[in-house]
Amino acid sequence: MASTTAEEQPFTLAVPDADLELLRTKLASVRFPDELEGAAWDYGAPLADIQRLVTHWKNSFDWRKAEAAINTLPMFTHDIEVDGFGTLNIHYVHQKSAVKNAVPLLFVHGWPGHFLEVRKLLPLLTAGPADQPSFHVVALSLPGFGFSEAPKKPGFKGRHYAEVFNKLMLSLGYEEYVYQGGDWGCALGAHAVTHYAHTHIKAWHTNTPFYRRPKFLSNPLLFLGLLTLPFNEPALAGLQRSQEFMKKGMGYYMEQATQPQTLGYSLADSPVGLLAWIYEKLVSWSDDYPWTDDEVIEWISIYWFSRAGPAAAGRIYYEITNRNTNDLFEGTKRTTVPFGVAYFPGEIAQTPKSWSKMLGKVVFESTHDKGGHFSAFEQPEKLASDLHKMFGKGGPAHGVVPGRNGYD
Amino acid sequence: MIAPAAEQPFALFVPDPDLALLREKLALARLPDELDGAGWDYGVPLADVRRLVARWRDGFDWRAAEEAINRDLPQFTRDVEVEGFGTLNVHYVHRRSARENAVPLLFVHGWPGSFLEVRKLLPLLTADVPDQPSFHVVALSLPGFGFSEAPKKGGFVHKQYGELANKLMISLGYDAYVVQGGDWGHYIAGSLATYYAHTHVKGWLSNYPHAQPPKLSKSPWLWLTDLVTPYSEREKEGWARTKEFRARGSGYSHEQATQPQTVGYSLGDSPVGLLGWIYEKLVRWTNGYRWEDDEVLEWVSVYWFSRAGPAASVRIYLEMTNRFERRAVDGIEWTSIPLGFSLFAKELNQVPRKWLRTLGNVVFESEHEHGGHFAAHEEPEALASDIRRMFGKGGPGFGVVPGKDGYV
Repeated sequence: MASTTAEEQPFTLAVPDADLELLRTKLASVRFPDELEGAAWDYGAPLADIQRLVTHWKNSFDWRKAEAAINTLPMFTHDIEVDGFGTLNIHYVHQKSAVKNAVPLLFVHGWPGHFLEVRKLLPLLTAGPADQPSFHVVALSLPGFGFSEAPKKPGFKGRHYAEVFNKLMLSLGYEEYVYQGGDWGCALGAHAVTHYAHTHIKAWHTNTPFYRRPKFLSNPLLFLGLLTLPFNEPALAGLQRSQEFMKKGMGYYMEQATQPQTLGYSLADSPVGLLAWIYEKLVSWSDDYPWTDDEVIEWISIYWFSRAGPAAAGRIYYEITNRNTNDLFEGTKRTTVPFGVAYFPGEIAQTPKSWSKMLGKVVFESTHDKGGHFSAFEQPEKLASDLHKMFGKGGPAHGVVPGRNGYD
Repeated sequence: MIAPAAEQPFALFVPDPDLALLREKLALARLPDELDGAGWDYGVPLADVRRLVARWRDGFDWRAAEEAINRDLPQFTRDVEVEGFGTLNVHYVHRRSARENAVPLLFVHGWPGSFLEVRKLLPLLTADVPDQPSFHVVALSLPGFGFSEAPKKGGFVHKQYGELANKLMISLGYDAYVVQGGDWGHYIAGSLATYYAHTHVKGWLSNYPHAQPPKLSKSPWLWLTDLVTPYSEREKEGWARTKEFRARGSGYSHEQATQPQTVGYSLGDSPVGLLGWIYEKLVRWTNGYRWEDDEVLEWVSVYWFSRAGPAASVRIYLEMTNRFERRAVDGIEWTSIPLGFSLFAKELNQVPRKWLRTLGNVVFESEHEHGGHFAAHEEPEALASDIRRMFGKGGPGFGVVPGKDGYV
């Protein structure tokens, strides 16, 4: 079915002067806590880091310059009707390749990520080497993040996110497409393929493969099949990193999954509070990525200036986990569209590789020696290379989208 | 009896610039939105925060509150040396009964409580009423709370809290005394018992019935009886409350026990954030208590204006649980001094009764049909009555402090 694509509504990011002024005034009156001697990272984000970043934000960071650079990305908005939630205005990046038959790819970020995580991937995917497949890339701001509207009422579940994804891609004329995501992008990918595998989503890939412990009853044959495989634990260092994360790094999850509004008052009102909340993850979840102060502040600014405000983003934890009564994959089922996984050593939620096979039909696997949770940002070449291999000629998912195999 | 060193009176007085900064921040408050019909499901309702912020900004009279605090609560400060931590200047309330032989009692608050929680108990306990025991009451601000200094380094745990509190009491001429506490006050009272039972601490009463299940290795008889005796309806209800609290009400404690510095930036910088964070507990943890807006604001203001800042107060979670590696209650050893429990219906952490016997020689249990976590504030008459019944004539703790049985 050929659908006439409505003309795209270009989007220009333009934070009002009043908002910049309010931020400036707040930064001028930050009240810092003290810190225990020798605390380093043992108690959370170090004071010296946060003070330095606040000073940079106040005195050096040029938001208008960052904004102008962001506006060189092809950005748009589109009204999407979601069953039971009315219309949500969705913000997205849409970069078409010069290759007409490029593979349509939807890139989905997570928390505390955002649409700009696609930035470094764009040239690699849309205008890569001629012997590699090309992609038309769509990267949305999830509802409640970046410059997309947030749902106004409770109950926005995985299937609703999937509906947004699918309707967005259809509106752009992409009846069939592939999906790439990390963090929530992975969990929501499982929800998306549950509803749209084969019909619309032809393959998917994640750079943060994690899943629930396999249960016999969920898929007896597959479970039994797993028992015969060598139990492929992540390398010891990776396992330790994950255990450390589970023990020491889940406070944000518990609060966001149970009392996101309470937390939201802090994040909406205090730029330093928001900065620390997110910066702690940017550093602890990445693999020694050399964050520049500008990079960090720009990243935080997306949250500070987000359309729905910083409090809205955390609600996804509450909704999808039903206020911490179930895990992120509740309501998903394993599908048989080709599934690719990339293992990065600095990933924080490392589950045994065999579990990925329960999550989807793994046809492509890569293991890297560098990179963490934000691999699209930290190691874009590695991630792009994985997608080239998975979807390129001779690759296990080559040609999954009829008529759009990535080459002209 | 050695005459105690002269007490240093303390008059609470927040400097004008601090008041001005608070007012400025409140004027700049940026509030989040809220989901339709959210109620209390996602955290503190927006309407509550909006109303409280407006009142705090325009109507709440801190100077009047300050004056009343100084009038109602005789406060002092004292330098106390803690091994390995140097000298900490401790703020405390001290009111003696007119009765010379009143029982010396140390009252210990928790989080998000403060020394103010003793306010309603003070006249009740120090009263000179015939046929009723009387008490000399000391209520400290825990290090890092209220107007006490905070420790400068990590590792301030059960032993240190015990040492500090015990030295304070001795310095006031109370070589032998009893302790009452809830929340962290329960753990600190237990710590005092652990280190100073018999020598100085003669009995303790807790209104926070938290303990671990009996271990076969440590208390086989208790383990066995716990195994075979069915739980009462009230115990089952209490356990259900406990599980609910742990699954859906403990996000704050996860964060505070693992990344207190991170959340501390918000709490220190945003009065709105601090208000939301604390007010949520004031409402959720009490049982039908009608909070006045000014009451709430006074409570939160003590945190906002605290000597060490709000961020310092949450470190206790990390220290006492060793960054969530263990339960704080594991730092309490069984002792044979009289132990009592005031059991309020809606307390959030309620364990089966037998478990309480792992903490000490339980000789007193008083069940109440009303009241929640902040018993001294919600149900001062009931708590005072329990204290009198435990330590008064005919009570299981009568006469535990030599020469100070509470009567003429």
